[in-house]
Amino acid sequence: MAEEEKKKKGGFLQAVKEFVYGVAAHDSARFAMKTRASMEHLFILITMGDMLGVPILPPYYSLRLLPYVVPQISTWKRRMLREKDFTDGLA
Amino acid sequence: MNSVVVLIIGFVVFFIGYRVYAKHIDTKVMKADPKRATPAKMYMDGVEFMPTSKNILFGYQFKSIAGAAPVIGPIVAIQWGWLPAMLWLLLGALFIGWVHDYSSALVPMRNEGASFGGLSYRLISPKARMILLSFIYFFLLLVAGAFGAIVVDAATGMKSAPMAWLLLTIGGLLAGQMIYRWKKDIILTTVVCVAIALFGIWFGTVAPSDSIVGAGIANSKFVWAIVALVFCYFAAVLPIWRFALPINYVASYIVFLGLLFGIIGVFILHPDFTLPAYTKFEIGIGYLWPVMFVTIACGAISGWHSIVSSSGTARQLEYETDARPVGGGVMFVEMMLGLFALIIAGTIYASSSEYAAAIAKGPIGVFAAGVSKFLGAVGLPAAIGRSYGSVMLIVLAVTILQLVIRFMRVATSELMGDISPIFKNAHVGTFIAEILVLVLILTGWWQYLWLLFGGANQLMASMALMLVTAYLMSEGKPYGWTFYPMIFMFITTVAALIYTSYRLLSRVFTGGAKTLEAVVGNTLMGLVGIFLVVAAIILAIEGWKAFGRYRAVKAQAAPAKA
Repeated sequence: MAEEEKKKKGGFLQAVKEFVYGVAAHDSARFAMKTRASMEHLFILITMGDMLGVPILPPYYSLRLLPYVVPQISTWKRRMLREKDFTDGLA
Repeated sequence: MNSVVVLIIGFVVFFIGYRVYAKHIDTKVMKADPKRATPAKMYMDGVEFMPTSKNILFGYQFKSIAGAAPVIGPIVAIQWGWLPAMLWLLLGALFIGWVHDYSSALVPMRNEGASFGGLSYRLISPKARMILLSFIYFFLLLVAGAFGAIVVDAATGMKSAPMAWLLLTIGGLLAGQMIYRWKKDIILTTVVCVAIALFGIWFGTVAPSDSIVGAGIANSKFVWAIVALVFCYFAAVLPIWRFALPINYVASYIVFLGLLFGIIGVFILHPDFTLPAYTKFEIGIGYLWPVMFVTIACGAISGWHSIVSSSGTARQLEYETDARPVGGGVMFVEMMLGLFALIIAGTIYASSSEYAAAIAKGPIGVFAAGVSKFLGAVGLPAAIGRSYGSVMLIVLAVTILQLVIRFMRVATSELMGDISPIFKNAHVGTFIAEILVLVLILTGWWQYLWLLFGGANQLMASMALMLVTAYLMSEGKPYGWTFYPMIFMFITTVAALIYTSYRLLSRVFTGGAKTLEAVVGNTLMGLVGIFLVVAAIILAIEGWKAFGRYRAVKAQAAPAKA
């Protein structure tokens, strides 16, 4: 019983903590991630430029970098090809 | 009536709306299923699509939608009496507000996280997308104009506010530097930077702007409009971690503490309403219907929320069942914020004439005086309380203002970038947006600017409800709960916008507007109002055609009668 109450209290405090984080910092974290994602997209574009017909890096270096890029390809494709409009810039 | 009774009625409506009506719609109509994959899970990219705890999203949604509007609206609308304003806040949030916010999150969730442009293309017509996006651009221009006017009024009206705003900015910049460059502990950063901002609120009372820069500059609308726009310029072109986000971070604590202690103050003082429950149907700014219904925008219903819900929240909800607490629950919290503002305006003045004299100077003074009174109940001196209230309002307004200017820069680049590459330049895009906003701030009378903003905001809500209704029809679900609110909001807001635009333009054509400033302001605001009405009517026609298509499909699919 006491443990359950403790858990409940912990749950409430955790909820308050998360709420404050949501008010104060969640947006900052999202924008930081967005900035990072933009940089990663640039990196992918540089690495894979020759595959898209834009010879940016010599293929040797592209191939050396490829293992670091491969895990990102699926999300990169989704972000690039998803339909967007300018309301996306708001939130 | 006693203010505590109003708060209790608010809590009862909150409870009924959230636990009964919203629960019924969520479980029986929309059939939210925690096991159904949401876009946040299906398309997780760690950036926009990211499953996030409902508590975090509750805070995020609240911070994104609670600007200055839920505070200003009731303070102005109490001119018709506190009873109609209170009823609209309560019934608007109960039957329309939460419906709008909740469904604006749930429908994009069921459509792969599509934003409003994509949804209008898919559910209504290709033409609808372009019109809706143009509508949103002008709607946001009015948001920027109205909120910019609030910032300027606060800076010129409350002489302690500029110093407090300056130190808040310094605190915010330091927060950005400490977090992202010096990698300091977040708690230390928060304590130091919030302390600087709080010090600024006190320092503003001992170093008011007129004693530093002289009364001429301290009272100049032009100077403070330029200051506000330079502030927004930095927010739009500097890296977001350097300026906008850390300042918003520090500011959120100022607002949060002010609200918390303000509400405690209401319970301690529990004053009675001193203003009349009802005055008359027609007052200086217009008729109770439709004008009061757009004067109180956020707090009852707001189109801005749908943009936040669809483009931001819908892509982060981990479970479908989280849409009710995050979408609906936060709307009811905002209703409580609106009631708090109503209590401020309705209880702090001894008579209607005192209130009339205060509101004639603008709503900022009313709000600051109210915050001062209720924070006084927890021991804060009156002068610091007024400074605190004015900074709270600046913070609430400028947070949205800088976001909107940044957004308008992006929109200018996207809409006009094909015409000339110069529009893709960040500085040019920001400059264009700021010039438009500056003209509105300097030439528009704040009450009309507020009405146009409110009208556009509510019309945006009506458009969002139209998209939701189209979705419900396409899925064969009951749609009355969104259709009737949509019709009510559409008729009310179109009537309010036509009425306001007519009054503005008639002053130009009948010679009522004498100065160049008044002619430019009235013409610009009137034309923007008419553009919004025309765009909304075209959208409504497109929407009606789409409804007809869905009805025809349903009729074809129905079994033949024997």
